[in-house]
Amino acid sequence: MAKLLKVESPESVVEKLISLEKRVIAPVRDGRLHRFLPVTRMEDADFGYFQAEGSMKGYFLPATEGILKFSCTTNEQKLEEPDLEFPETFIVGCRPCDAAALSIQDKLFEWDYVDEFYKARRDSTTIVGLACTYADNNCFCTSMGLAPDSPDGSDILIVKTEEGFLAEISTKKGEKLASLLELKEKGSAEDRRRAGVNAGKLITREFRSEGIPGWLKSNFEHELWDSMCTKCIGCAACTFTCPTCHCFDIVDEPVGTSGERRKNWDACTLRTFTIHASGYNPRSVQYKRYRQRIEHKFNYYVDRFGRFLCTGCGRCIRVCPVSLDMAEVLEEISSRV
Amino acid sequence: MSVYSPTLLKVKEVLPETHDIATLIMGFQDGAFAEEFSFKPGQFGLFGAFGEGECALAIASSPSSKGQITCSIKKVGKVTSSLTSANAGDIIGFRGPYGNWFPLEKMKGKKLFFIAGGIGFSAIRSSLLSVLEKKDNYKKVVLLYGARSVGELVYKRELADYEKNSKVDLIKTVDPGGDEKDWDGKVGFVPSVLEEMKPKPEGSVAIVCGPPVMIKITIATLVKHGFKREDVYTTLENRMKCGLGKCGRCNIGKAYVCKDGPVFTAAQIAEFPPDY
Repeated sequence: MAKLLKVESPESVVEKLISLEKRVIAPVRDGRLHRFLPVTRMEDADFGYFQAEGSMKGYFLPATEGILKFSCTTNEQKLEEPDLEFPETFIVGCRPCDAAALSIQDKLFEWDYVDEFYKARRDSTTIVGLACTYADNNCFCTSMGLAPDSPDGSDILIVKTEEGFLAEISTKKGEKLASLLELKEKGSAEDRRRAGVNAGKLITREFRSEGIPGWLKSNFEHELWDSMCTKCIGCAACTFTCPTCHCFDIVDEPVGTSGERRKNWDACTLRTFTIHASGYNPRSVQYKRYRQRIEHKFNYYVDRFGRFLCTGCGRCIRVCPVSLDMAEVLEEISSRV
Repeated sequence: MSVYSPTLLKVKEVLPETHDIATLIMGFQDGAFAEEFSFKPGQFGLFGAFGEGECALAIASSPSSKGQITCSIKKVGKVTSSLTSANAGDIIGFRGPYGNWFPLEKMKGKKLFFIAGGIGFSAIRSSLLSVLEKKDNYKKVVLLYGARSVGELVYKRELADYEKNSKVDLIKTVDPGGDEKDWDGKVGFVPSVLEEMKPKPEGSVAIVCGPPVMIKITIATLVKHGFKREDVYTTLENRMKCGLGKCGRCNIGKAYVCKDGPVFTAAQIAEFPPDY
């Protein structure tokens, strides 16, 4: 059972951490949008936001990251490994859908071989989630088994209640932070429960998702794919803004005889993703690439790791330039189950 | 060190195979790594040309040749162009071994059909060499190998040896139009030649590798002749980047070719969605 303590506000958490000279990342207003950026002054953090433009995925899996430096001449080859030490960091005020994305991705990056770049950052980071007080019609977290106030992925979840703010502490890292913040006064479980009921009402878009993996298993070649997904233009905006999409490329960027090997975001919706050197492409047309995105998120990942690879944050819907609404595809599938 | 860190291989010898295929024999630079390195036939590695990138390729040598590995590479893209033009003394990056392997232990006492097309031979050569080293463990080895043309056959030196080996039945073929005046093999696609051979499934196991279309038709031919799908093995070489089950590129359905494969039985493949 999670521990409930009273907390003054999300701002007070930032203020305290900055005073302790800790590294803090928080939502910062950038024009019309919010982004997760390091903050050194409490005023820079803006928690009156709906959703950040990108999740904080980029902090754990950067859009581009050097994984090896090399310098090779005929006589000498030098390889230089990047530093895998990351500073202790506190991400404060991320939405529950973005926090949950981390616990979903943990399964992949820590399965079998461990991706040290991801793991080292995860280990050195404490996540302070902030329950939603607003949702739009593209939010569908409750259909993904989450909620505007789910603690999944947050070491501490801050929830606005009728009486103020509560800190819901779920992990050891959360406990450590709570003592750092000197949170002592117990919160009311009833207050928390009521906040949860209100949070649940924020979500207006809901569909039954439990039958989706089964439908996907037996309808790989259904006509729905071509008819609904053929308008995808393969721009990859959905995958890049997605907090759970994690597919990447590894490329060498040479400068003369030296250079760097880099891990870059990639996307299954791009034409070149699976193309063989011979020119043969198993996913020869666009709807097959979009189908992979759906199959991976709602079927394969469920089989392998027991969870949807989606938190219902709705970013993919908001950014799609051709209005290919993934929730609509899921609703269509759900109606056929 | 991270899971993406390569170890270094030094090219000892380059054997030209065809106009666009070369075999590299390489030794590990790091003595301790060489000492500990072991792999099983069918596993692959990520071979890297620094400045060009990495490429997933089957290890073509037998695990018994300690401290060195062989890889046959067809020049197709950027990385393979660099690797095939390597000279003795050049340094290549290596990560591996990755993936699963052919269960040769389970095949003891059986008649083995090795069926290869083109450069696909390199992916089953390690198994073939291992089997021939312990040939008393196996009843018989049939090697059916085809290429587009006589000039595109790889491992010609070894084919000549197999012709003299009483434990090996070698059937070589080239695609129609690919033969030459002195060609002593067959003319026809691998599955058609296999069809003519009327392979008997009793006590037999097949190991198949070649281009995707050849694999598909060869499996169908074997099944038609009564082979159980469980007794037909192949190795798939989807596009890969990490080799570690992370980058999300090589999946067929829920299977990662790099982790759950590259070796699959035809029974497993029959369960896959048509996405390879």
